[in-house]
Amino acid sequence: MKRTISCMILLCISAFLHAQELYVSTEPASNMATGSIGVRLNSKLFQMKYNNSYLLRIDPEIMFGLSKKVMIHVNAYASNMYQQSLKFEGAGIYGKYRFLSIDDVHSHFRMSAFGKVSVIDNPTSLYANNQYYGGNEIDLDGNNSGFLSGVVATQLLHKLALSSSVAYTNRFKNINEDKEPGQSSQAINYTLSAGYLLLPVEYKNYNQTNVNLYCELIGSSSIDSKGYYFDIAPAVQFIFNSIARLDLLYRVQFAGTMERLSNNYFLLRIEYNFLNIFKLR
Amino acid sequence: MKAQRIFLILAIISFSQIANAQLQKAEFQASGLTCSMCSNAINKALKTVPFIETVNTDLNKNVFEVIFKKNVPVDFDAIRKKVEDAGFSIAKLWVIADLHNQKINNDEHVSIDGLNFHFMNVKSQTLNGSQRFQLIDKNYVSAKEFKKCSAYTTMPCYQTGTMSNCCKSKDGAVASGNRIYHVTI
Repeated sequence: MKRTISCMILLCISAFLHAQELYVSTEPASNMATGSIGVRLNSKLFQMKYNNSYLLRIDPEIMFGLSKKVMIHVNAYASNMYQQSLKFEGAGIYGKYRFLSIDDVHSHFRMSAFGKVSVIDNPTSLYANNQYYGGNEIDLDGNNSGFLSGVVATQLLHKLALSSSVAYTNRFKNINEDKEPGQSSQAINYTLSAGYLLLPVEYKNYNQTNVNLYCELIGSSSIDSKGYYFDIAPAVQFIFNSIARLDLLYRVQFAGTMERLSNNYFLLRIEYNFLNIFKLR
Repeated sequence: MKAQRIFLILAIISFSQIANAQLQKAEFQASGLTCSMCSNAINKALKTVPFIETVNTDLNKNVFEVIFKKNVPVDFDAIRKKVEDAGFSIAKLWVIADLHNQKINNDEHVSIDGLNFHFMNVKSQTLNGSQRFQLIDKNYVSAKEFKKCSAYTTMPCYQTGTMSNCCKSKDGAVASGNRIYHVTI
């Protein structure tokens, strides 16, 4: 396990060589093209801590580029994590506002503010093996109602792209169930991401398949002193015809004390973008 | 009768010189991107511009060549807006024109294809044939470059991009508020 994680860290370091910013686990400070719509289907297989089985969450997502500075995502969530069959869990809305952009040839520095609100109908923890699982992790992507708000900065420097974010998250009452007293209700989340453009070595046309490698570090600390975690998430990404995208990611905790439903998951995402769809003014 | 016929022929020839008889294409380098998906956002956006016939891309240098349609008025700001709405910026833009006996003087404005141009940092000369000049207005060059080029003129139209009292035509009239593109060779 330690050797695997060391390899992942080495991959992350090598990701600093050539980089892309279409990160898999996080959003960069850049925006979508104005008037474009992106559709995604995210599917995550979580390995559940209570019995090591893999359970599924699917998360269809629609993204709107409202202007060069503003974009919005809308998500719906469904999983079989709390019951036998796949159940609709709720929805979330995410917005990003790019407030700084300094462009140069093959480089940029950008900063954006972002926020998300989710409304979810799930238990706030899972009881099995005479204990509660998942009570302290605040996950707005299907497990918990709440909001988060933060800032992200991305630096693209030809062969190097780094992105980092910090966010504050606070949970609300899940529809039909509030958190137990003693469960964490606030956390600080932080991320550090890098990407590597593996192929093509030289562009010939828009139809070439791009292959990007990513490595992201994602952490969270409970403000209510209910623990922390650091996850590492290597990923491979294919871009088809400069319009569609396929992401494959594995995310795993490499340090932490927080009580979670799952310490690791696989993600498969497919995405397609429609450009020049609408005009707002 | 002969004079009238000659006049008619000359009139037809001169009318055929309107709108885009001279401005043929533009080449620009986009900034803030490296990948082809980003270039594609610019590429597809440019294809929606009414006066653009063809878009060609150098994906490695992020250079876009936009060939203008004949007889459709050109608007360089519309090109820049498409690039910026796609999420990027213009680093440099060159205008390629086919000129016939076009007299230019330093720090003076001329009209080409119905657009106002203000040539800066150039020698007085007559331009013939295929010419390439760089648009040096704000947001068409880096901030550093814009500051450097500001030294080439004292006219306020360079700072605003629109004509004002500095831009008087031969008969003394001022087309205040009209867009004027500042260029250099």
